[in-house]
Amino acid sequence: MNVQRIEAGYLPGLASADVQWQTLPFEQDGQRVDVAVPVLTATQMQALALRVKEASTQHLKTMTVSEIINVIDRAIARLLDSNDPYRKQADALLPIVSGYDAQMVRLGLTGFFKTFRAPQLHRFVAEDFANPKVLDGFQPTPKGGAVRAYGPQLLVHSWAGNVPALALWSLVCGLLVKAGNIGKLPSAEPLFAGWFARLLVEVHPPLADCLAVVWWRGAGDEDAAALYAQADTVVAYGGNDALHAIQRRLPVTARFLAHGHKLGFGIISATALDAQKAPALARRAAWDVMRYDQQGCYSPQIFYVQRGGQVLPRDFAGYLAGELTNLQQRFPRRALDLAESAAVAKWRQSIEWQLPAGGADALIGDPDAAWGVSYTDTAAPLAPTALQRSIVVAGIDTLDDVAPLVAAHSRYLQTAGVAATPEELFRLAEQLGAAGVTRVSAIGAMSVPEAGWHHDGRFNLLDLVRMTEIEQSAEAAADPYASYEP
Amino acid sequence: MNNAAPPVAELLEFIAQDGCTDAQFDQLALRLFAYQYGANAPYRSFCQRRGATVRNVKTWSDIPAVPIDAFKAMELRCEPPRPDERVFMTSGTTRADMRGRHFHPHLDVYDLSMTHNFAARVMRGTPRLPMGILFPDEVAMPNSSLAHYLALAKTAFGTHDSRYFMSPQGIDLDGLWRRLEAAERDGEPYALLGASFSFVHVIDALRKEGRTFRLPPGSRILDTGGYKGQSRELPLDTFYSELSDLLGVPRALCINMYGMTELSTQFYDDGNATVPSVKSGPHWIRSRLVDPATGRTVPAGERGILAHCDLGNFNSVSTILTEDVGQPADGGFLLLGRAEGAQAKGCSLAVEEFIQSTRP
Repeated sequence: MNVQRIEAGYLPGLASADVQWQTLPFEQDGQRVDVAVPVLTATQMQALALRVKEASTQHLKTMTVSEIINVIDRAIARLLDSNDPYRKQADALLPIVSGYDAQMVRLGLTGFFKTFRAPQLHRFVAEDFANPKVLDGFQPTPKGGAVRAYGPQLLVHSWAGNVPALALWSLVCGLLVKAGNIGKLPSAEPLFAGWFARLLVEVHPPLADCLAVVWWRGAGDEDAAALYAQADTVVAYGGNDALHAIQRRLPVTARFLAHGHKLGFGIISATALDAQKAPALARRAAWDVMRYDQQGCYSPQIFYVQRGGQVLPRDFAGYLAGELTNLQQRFPRRALDLAESAAVAKWRQSIEWQLPAGGADALIGDPDAAWGVSYTDTAAPLAPTALQRSIVVAGIDTLDDVAPLVAAHSRYLQTAGVAATPEELFRLAEQLGAAGVTRVSAIGAMSVPEAGWHHDGRFNLLDLVRMTEIEQSAEAAADPYASYEP
Repeated sequence: MNNAAPPVAELLEFIAQDGCTDAQFDQLALRLFAYQYGANAPYRSFCQRRGATVRNVKTWSDIPAVPIDAFKAMELRCEPPRPDERVFMTSGTTRADMRGRHFHPHLDVYDLSMTHNFAARVMRGTPRLPMGILFPDEVAMPNSSLAHYLALAKTAFGTHDSRYFMSPQGIDLDGLWRRLEAAERDGEPYALLGASFSFVHVIDALRKEGRTFRLPPGSRILDTGGYKGQSRELPLDTFYSELSDLLGVPRALCINMYGMTELSTQFYDDGNATVPSVKSGPHWIRSRLVDPATGRTVPAGERGILAHCDLGNFNSVSTILTEDVGQPADGGFLLLGRAEGAQAKGCSLAVEEFIQSTRP
């Protein structure tokens, strides 16, 4: 077997030989990648944190936002170039590590990287700061006086895995607010963040010590504690238990920005279900289910489909099943391990037992299929499926039925895909927003959030900064002391 | 052949005999399948959806395995309910409000299965032993198959001075210490039986008090059921070395029973000198490792989800699909733990976490 060994992470100031390494093996279709991840001592971690803080004060906080955007844009341009060694490496290895179909990863990465080009990044900043110059210096405020935004000295990231390159989001946010960044690699995808760090440094060498990418086992030990103790802000992704474990070890003064697991769903109005539009809509819905096998926080778990259109909800479920069959040809589902396979089987069987004889409800797709569509004629409450392309289609009478069905899980809501008339869209958005939904997208765009979206309804950049204000009183009081004053 | 009545007499005879051939097992398994296919309507439709009928099920491994979740979703029974039936319920390790139920019109088959097997695997030729039980009795837990199992062990194999060391306040540790001291003093072998988590409490108490016992040779320990969130989780190796160090029972005589509410027969290992130990059952139960997605047996040597065909399950379904991961081993299988609802590796909410979060 072809075995490749790769050192992951990015550790400025530490030589390979000074660090302990642990191997995470990944295997796919006869190809094996042994990823060596660094295990730092508490002392090494502490030294690293100091180094990153100091360097970012010197080299990153002195750059303007536009200069930083320019650097990121150059790095992203290289990642968008299919002949660039970094991109080649990502295309070759991320499918092996994540298990996802290579073509799916390639398309996914390109779409994802495009949202980090300079124009998109400028929009990203403008989304949170009416005047982006507040990140570079004091700016006058309408109420009088002046204000400036400061990013954290040390922003620590705890990334989640399996959606490849996910680390890019928070890392770019950290760079845009000029924070020193140290991120912890997820064991499920321990490669991309380290590559991006090295690429940035290649593009702009003064950044060399301004960021680091580390790893630790499980929830971490003294190494993690040493890092968290230095952080003024922590961004973490993961399940609530994991998030809680991180929160418990943070200094009370640290700002904790948690992105927990979410449940997505779609709503399809009867008006979108004529014989011409429905098949295309089912195709887009299937893409949202297929992308990264529903592992994204934005991935749909159920589609509520309104009765009364030309195409019945049950038929829409059939179209969706057909499209998932097609997509399985193009982008086969990743191979499931025993636990995942058992979870999918459990989901299927729990539905099977409940199927009333002779009813309209159905489980479409046989147990061998790499997807499953469950149709129910009742307005089912929102609940997670087994993921891995398992999706519920539920028939509803009116669009107003949906908000009460999802409201019970307001803490888990994020994305709702909607296919409806403009009037219906805004009416639904009011109800869904009140229920806890933070993002309404088109069906087919659920799994590709636009640049500058407000992840989990929060401000990606604004949440990271602290504002310093010069009040009008200080400005006025300063005047008499000027040398030119009489 | 009469498929309208349960083959109870044949089963009792089959269990009582010494071993069986493959053909004999198949014959009774198919006889039981035909009965359950006819008498258990939800099971029949489950089989039909899988294209399995009395005609094309040719051997025990063709019998469709029912996922244990089904015991929660519906009443899987062949005989109609009766007032004196026993109902064993799962302890709800995953969800407190939905417990699996296993209906036993009588316990003749269950009890014979238990005693016959227990005599061979735990007693190993000793007719009776003084026993201490670290689990509530049947009065306190009438729906617990484990409470019944332990009560039966006590009456069928315990000496008259065997007793429970369980009170509503927890384990009667002082009473237990006194009894273990007496066993040490008299040099009489002693058997301690109970839930794995009860033993963790005993370990913790002994460590805290700094005491140890050296139970006389021939003493044994039987634990079962895992920790179920009722105690801290100990790695298997630590668990048995602690038990052995603190109670003086060699690890080879620390036996673990693997049983389920959904079964009528138990599996045992031959001690836990090394872990994980090989589990095996008596001749009236057979197991295979399956791919959960398809229900098909995995290629030889590979790990899979355990499916058991238990001829003792005469009133429910003989063949069940567990959520336990097994690996083939010489003479049986290794139990590698539960296939936990797969943790989402990404950011989508997984079922397991969702269930956790909706718990009261």
